[in-house]
Amino acid sequence: MQRSRGKTSRKGLSDRSLALLLVLPAALLLVVFSIYPFLQAAFDSLFHIPLATRQGTFVGLSNYVQVFHEESIQRAFGRTLLWTVSNIAVQTVLGLLIALLLNTRLYGQTFGRGLVLFPYMIPAIVVATVFRFTFNDITGIASYLWLKIPGVHQPIYFLSQPTAALLTVTAVNCWKYTPFIVIVLLARLQTVPRDLYEAAQIDGAGRPALLWYVTLPWLLPVLLVALLLRTIWTVNDFDVIYLLAYGGPLDATTTLPLEIRRLAFGRQDVGLASALAVLVAIGISVIGLAYLWLYQHSEARLHER
Amino acid sequence: MQVERMGLHLLLALTTLVMSAPLIWMLLSSLKPDRENAAYPPTILPHTWTLENYRLLFTISDFGTYLSNSCIVASASTLLTIVISVGAAYALSRFHFRWINVLAGVALFAYTIPPILVLVPIARIVTGLGLGNSLSALIILYTATLLPFALWVLRSYFNGLEIEIEHAAMIDGCTRFGAFIRVALPQAVPGIISTSIFTFNAAWSEYLFASTLTVSPSKLTLSPGLSLLLDQTGVYSWGLLMAGAVMITIPVLILFTIIQRSLVRGLGDGAVTG
Repeated sequence: MQRSRGKTSRKGLSDRSLALLLVLPAALLLVVFSIYPFLQAAFDSLFHIPLATRQGTFVGLSNYVQVFHEESIQRAFGRTLLWTVSNIAVQTVLGLLIALLLNTRLYGQTFGRGLVLFPYMIPAIVVATVFRFTFNDITGIASYLWLKIPGVHQPIYFLSQPTAALLTVTAVNCWKYTPFIVIVLLARLQTVPRDLYEAAQIDGAGRPALLWYVTLPWLLPVLLVALLLRTIWTVNDFDVIYLLAYGGPLDATTTLPLEIRRLAFGRQDVGLASALAVLVAIGISVIGLAYLWLYQHSEARLHER
Repeated sequence: MQVERMGLHLLLALTTLVMSAPLIWMLLSSLKPDRENAAYPPTILPHTWTLENYRLLFTISDFGTYLSNSCIVASASTLLTIVISVGAAYALSRFHFRWINVLAGVALFAYTIPPILVLVPIARIVTGLGLGNSLSALIILYTATLLPFALWVLRSYFNGLEIEIEHAAMIDGCTRFGAFIRVALPQAVPGIISTSIFTFNAAWSEYLFASTLTVSPSKLTLSPGLSLLLDQTGVYSWGLLMAGAVMITIPVLILFTIIQRSLVRGLGDGAVTG
């Protein structure tokens, strides 16, 4: 359809001036607060800049070289990998199961849906405060209940033992963000074409087969888009993980964003922090492209049939 | 079949319980006196129900200031985001000049920039503009960072509207701008409401920028404010902290109740179309 390209309406502003006026404030804000800071960070990564003086010395790519040699960054990278993969795996499996459960006709289903989806909207600071109380070593209800399990005599220090801390933070993050996957999948489940099911039933497919050959392929493209967003946000996630454990104990929950903050504000090395941030951004783009490739494949397979 | 349905109901009840237990615990603990929150073994329901924690929260801490700061920042940045993005989204949907498509691409790119990457440059810009340690800085910054999301959701909303009605209005003598204000805008109201709710919630919850850009206690919003209380009161006043957490959650709950019905459909339509 030919929309009004360059066509001038009889009265008032021309389309071109109106369009310009309407997008100008948005464009201005994006340039000043997104594009310019992004370029600035990329530029900063080529300098050695102590935060205090901000007098940069040009050092070429040596910050990038240093990123690969710094031991704390390597460990933060490993943790980020573990953090992201375990979060995404748990959220996908739980999200899928809960979405299927909430899609069956059950009593109290609407009410249940509300309660299950709500954590997604809870602010990180509330999440952190509640779970720091719940998992407190002395007064926490979780620590109390753990010792009530028959046969358990050793307490778990949920947030003050390095290994336990990363697991606890992951579990809390899954509690907050699995609802996102559920929301997206529930929306998609409501659009499964009836005839796909009927055709499969005529072919004699049982319920596991229906799930595997009809429902899951139908969900896959949307699931991949949701996972693309979740992966970006999980790698970049700062608030929940920082407010729960401040990156500790003994750096056990310091993922790359927390490491970047420490490099910039703790070690006051803005150049190195920027170099790491740029590399993280590039890494995320590569993951994003991989998801989009998978997405196109899953869409194509859906249309083949 | 009967057994299976019972099992599914049991599973639903269990899932609902696990997902809501932390929030119920938060509410119950906020209504207990401190000696009960520190008691071993812990009490589930409060033995003594009290609103003392809430009274203390507003008298001995600056929570009231944080609350009003957050109300100002979240409302103002939501209003600004919506006003700016509704116009821009309409232009993005209806006009097809090349530079308009470039803007759409830039907005999508901006959405993927990790906040931590731009934190230092943004802190520098804000100080440079003379806005350091002020609520205005947060309002402008939130508007800028929430813009890409609002722009994309509202654009897809305008794309779904019948364009013929606008053309008819223009043939009847309406200007293009008049057609936007009087014809397209009223139809977009449901989309605007759900976008506002997500925008408000994001501004209400934000921690990273707020904690970096505001320093003095009179300028703190709820997230850095409660975080400060958490560090100060730490172990001995969980009731007070839970009361703060409940206060922050109440507006979110109200918004969630409004949006819940359209949430499942809305997110499917707008942000993530298959």
